[in-house]
Amino acid sequence: MTLTLEQLDTDEALRAAVELPWRTVVWDDPVNLMTYVSYVFRSYFGLPRAEAERLMLLVHTEGRAIVATGNREAMERHAQAMHGYGLQATVERAEP
Amino acid sequence: MIVAGLGGGEGVRIVLETEEAMLLSELADQVDSVLLLGEADDPALGRLLPNAYPDDHDAAHDYTRYTRDSLVDGKRQAAQRVRDATAVEEHGGVVQIELDQSEAWGWLTFLTDLRLILAERVGIVDEDEADADETRDDYLRAAYEWAGFVQGSMLEVLDPIKG
Repeated sequence: MTLTLEQLDTDEALRAAVELPWRTVVWDDPVNLMTYVSYVFRSYFGLPRAEAERLMLLVHTEGRAIVATGNREAMERHAQAMHGYGLQATVERAEP
Repeated sequence: MIVAGLGGGEGVRIVLETEEAMLLSELADQVDSVLLLGEADDPALGRLLPNAYPDDHDAAHDYTRYTRDSLVDGKRQAAQRVRDATAVEEHGGVVQIELDQSEAWGWLTFLTDLRLILAERVGIVDEDEADADETRDDYLRAAYEWAGFVQGSMLEVLDPIKG
């Protein structure tokens, strides 16, 4: 039983690692209004207000926040959308 | 400058003094010019079209190759729409502009691009120093603050804090 469960966990972890190897990061900048960043997160990612504000505050206080994880092409699409909104965004490989 | 909601919160009405409209039209034209004519090493362009892969030269190059034209087109279009909507011939009176949700997004992104360019020109690189060095360029700084005020007012209408 325990073995089976552990096996399952490993498979899940492996699949996550394979499927989610890239991420889009939004960086703090001194220009954008906090209300704007939060509104962009809500509108573009369809996030609930509380989650959008949590991410926005993370950007503000930590200097960056991971806003999406997934395949590289999708992460570049998100970065392009963020650049369209005037936010500073980068794409990076997720840490193992 | 007055920003009010349209019925049902589905858009905004912006009322500008003619002088404000002329200023905005001029600024929008300048944003369009920066996007059209900006030198590759213009740091303001770097703010509008950031490097998606700061640590990977080849990936950065590819990303730019695939995305730049479309990003520039979108930003220029937004700037041109603001420029045209605010183009006025005569002094005096007010200019009323009604924007639906999607047009309002064009204004929000334009105002962001405008502020990014002005910030670069004025030298706002650190939030804590945002009000240092005030004499450097009062006109650009005033335009920067004003664009932020317009954008903030639009957001208050488009995205009111409930409760």
